[in-house]
Amino acid sequence: MIRYTLITLLLVLAAFVVQQFLPAFTGLHNARILLVQLVFLCTAVTVGTPTMLLLAFVCGFLWDAQCGLGQAGGDPGIYNLPVEVLHFGYSMLLFAAMGYLMQGIQPLFRQGKWQFSALLTGIAIFFYLSAEYALITFVRGGFVLSRATVMQVAVTSGLTMLFSPLVFWVLFRIANLCHHTIRFDGLKRRNRKRHS
Amino acid sequence: MKPLNLIALLLFLGGAVWALTRSDRAVRDIQTGYYSAIAPFFKAGSAIETKARALQTETHHSKELEVKLHEAEMQMHRLELIESRYRDLEKENASLRDAVKFKASTKFDVVAAQIVRRQPTTWWQTVEIDRGKDFNIDAQYPVLSSEGLVGKVDLVRDDRSSVVLLTDESSQVSAKVEGTPEVGILVGQRGQFEGTPMLRLRYLSKEAASVKPGQRVFTTGRGGIFPANILLGTVESIEKNSLDSEALVRPSVNFGDLETVFVVLTHAKSP
Repeated sequence: MIRYTLITLLLVLAAFVVQQFLPAFTGLHNARILLVQLVFLCTAVTVGTPTMLLLAFVCGFLWDAQCGLGQAGGDPGIYNLPVEVLHFGYSMLLFAAMGYLMQGIQPLFRQGKWQFSALLTGIAIFFYLSAEYALITFVRGGFVLSRATVMQVAVTSGLTMLFSPLVFWVLFRIANLCHHTIRFDGLKRRNRKRHS
Repeated sequence: MKPLNLIALLLFLGGAVWALTRSDRAVRDIQTGYYSAIAPFFKAGSAIETKARALQTETHHSKELEVKLHEAEMQMHRLELIESRYRDLEKENASLRDAVKFKASTKFDVVAAQIVRRQPTTWWQTVEIDRGKDFNIDAQYPVLSSEGLVGKVDLVRDDRSSVVLLTDESSQVSAKVEGTPEVGILVGQRGQFEGTPMLRLRYLSKEAASVKPGQRVFTTGRGGIFPANILLGTVESIEKNSLDSEALVRPSVNFGDLETVFVVLTHAKSP
């Protein structure tokens, strides 16, 4: 269990490094593969709540360190209405919320039905991006929702979801290597079949 | 809820509150630490990228390369011309300042940089350039191209910097419309990810009668970040509101094709 947790933590850190080299697809509405979010969401469904929250903290912390914008600066006499930026740390809460969402269908996953979890990663990323955009709108004011934004969120979610089976496969391999069981009921069913 | 889960949730919320209450300076330190930690991966990645680019370049048709080389040479000559004109103006400015016994001395220099990464984040309009602290670049320094203002430096690392583009919503530039007394704040607009992003020149006078489509927009030099008289764009249309007017401005820089930029190293010293 501890070995599995440590390896998933390393997997998340590796995702951060790989994410740096994943470009935005300008021809696909500026969509991108959100590998960090994907690895976190797939991992969240395989671990308990405390581990999920630990991963949410790490992911949110590093994601904000990676993506945070600085304050506008300049003479406040001229730029007296600076545009607000999202505060460092907000991503942790979004990661945790998405983690809880994934854990909602953990019973299905434990029955061996990982396909539902794969589908839910796309939905969770859609909610994650929508929530992020809603937060930007909230702190900056003025509701603007262009077709380009909707397409970017939708295509990013879909594109990222396509890679979730691959991440689940990696997680199953890691779990096997660590002798850690992440599909209890599926395993029981298989064992029952073997015995009968 | 299980006691262990409750304790984990409370610890998580405590950590989140701690993170949310960090000062800007502390956040910048965290960001610098994070990028220092992953710098070795960047270097390895850049080496692979350079090799891949070299391979891609080799496969290009030689005529295409010739055309590109010709264009690059033309561009270089143009930049040399601009630079020499700049130097002349700088000298003239210095001599005029001497003549009127103006005590402030202004040093103006630029560092050329290549864009190595576009749009690294989901929502912000930013790019990464291959120059950083090693070249005396600092946060808030203006970034130009031969076409006009590109943006300003946001986060600086040793060998890289991120640049917030003029098209980002958080970008604000004090601007004036050519040939008119109109001044305002030029800002980017949210959610413009496709086509040519337009800028919005806010806080013009209510009538803004003298502003016409096609007029050029320049920096005023006020606000302490951007030097004066840098081209920003061209007025496309004017929208009159009840209290003021706004103009839609097409940026002079083609952000999609941007490859080389110049970071202005400004050190204005008070007398």
